[in-house]
Amino acid sequence: MTDTMDWLEAIGQDATLRHASSDELTTLLAAADASEALVAAVASGDSAQLGREFGEHVMHVTQSSQTYPQREEPIPVPVPVPDEEGEPNKDPESVHNLPAQAA
Amino acid sequence: MENPSIPASTDARRGSLACVGLGMTLGSHLTPLARSHITQSDVVFAGVSDGIVEAWLQRMHPDVRSLQPYYREGKSRLTTYREWVDLMMTEVRAGKRVCGVFYGHPGIFAWSPHKAIEAARAEGYHAHMEPGISAEDCLYADLGIDPGRFGCQHFEASQLLLFERRIDPTGYLVLWQVGHVGDQSLARFKATGAAYRQVFVDLLSADYPLDHQMIIYRAATLPIQQPRIRRIALRDLPHIELSAEETVVLPPAKAMKPNLAIQARLAELEAAENAVEPA
Repeated sequence: MTDTMDWLEAIGQDATLRHASSDELTTLLAAADASEALVAAVASGDSAQLGREFGEHVMHVTQSSQTYPQREEPIPVPVPVPDEEGEPNKDPESVHNLPAQAA
Repeated sequence: MENPSIPASTDARRGSLACVGLGMTLGSHLTPLARSHITQSDVVFAGVSDGIVEAWLQRMHPDVRSLQPYYREGKSRLTTYREWVDLMMTEVRAGKRVCGVFYGHPGIFAWSPHKAIEAARAEGYHAHMEPGISAEDCLYADLGIDPGRFGCQHFEASQLLLFERRIDPTGYLVLWQVGHVGDQSLARFKATGAAYRQVFVDLLSADYPLDHQMIIYRAATLPIQQPRIRRIALRDLPHIELSAEETVVLPPAKAMKPNLAIQARLAELEAAENAVEPA
């Protein structure tokens, strides 16, 4: 028997199934003895119905955050600082914390 | 046909890293090469957008480790992403073939895969990124937009708020992560809300009229879903429900203005070329 994951993969890979109407796909899946959750999800257009079979998963999708605020995570970058005579200060402890660059 | 195999190297086993994209829609977008990276690896780390997609990935490999548990409310996502890099690199250093699997394209709006590859290469390991079909790719297909027609700018929404960027309203403007716009903590799970989005609308209104029609878009994750496409006026952006995975698209608000001076220079060049060419 084809399980729900096999069905999802098959639908995703087949042009006719992927673009079938909800009614057509519901009829096909019901006739093929697909799970109640999958048939209900297709019939209602609500994929949350699959939670009955796979469980409820709260997934966090934000994984970019390319924009770091100026104050976030300063990276020490050595910057020559002129001393009182106007010469660059070579002291390695003399660094300015510059903001991280956006990736 | 059975694929030919290459005999294993006699060299001491070296770790390696491949970061691959699953694409956006389960079953539809995974490339044969990305699948091969997954199945041939020793350990798989999963940064995907849907629990069912993660379960699908677990069928491809016996050792799939979810990166989801490293998110936590109140914890900076930057910290989480650094932990992801450390997790992958620990296994690479242990001599494993590591595959980082991310939804969409592993290198688009994804900090960790780039950093992990950079770290692996810096330490002398082989590291590779395999592209996937991204939300951006789906957006062009589902909305019927060709970025070459008028040009297309992309920004993470917060970057547009926090830095002085130049918007070109004669092209498309695609804004990512609008649900989190203005979140400087990087630690929220929930959207930042109406007041933050109003600041965003105020910024955009310098280049777009408030009744400018914009598109709210979300690609299909499961093959039984359809893309979600809504059209609203710019002024209504603060007042709608908006999830983190939805993208905002502003079509051009103005016509492109011909650069007559440059066109005249090019005409002169063409005329000069024609004058010296033999008949």
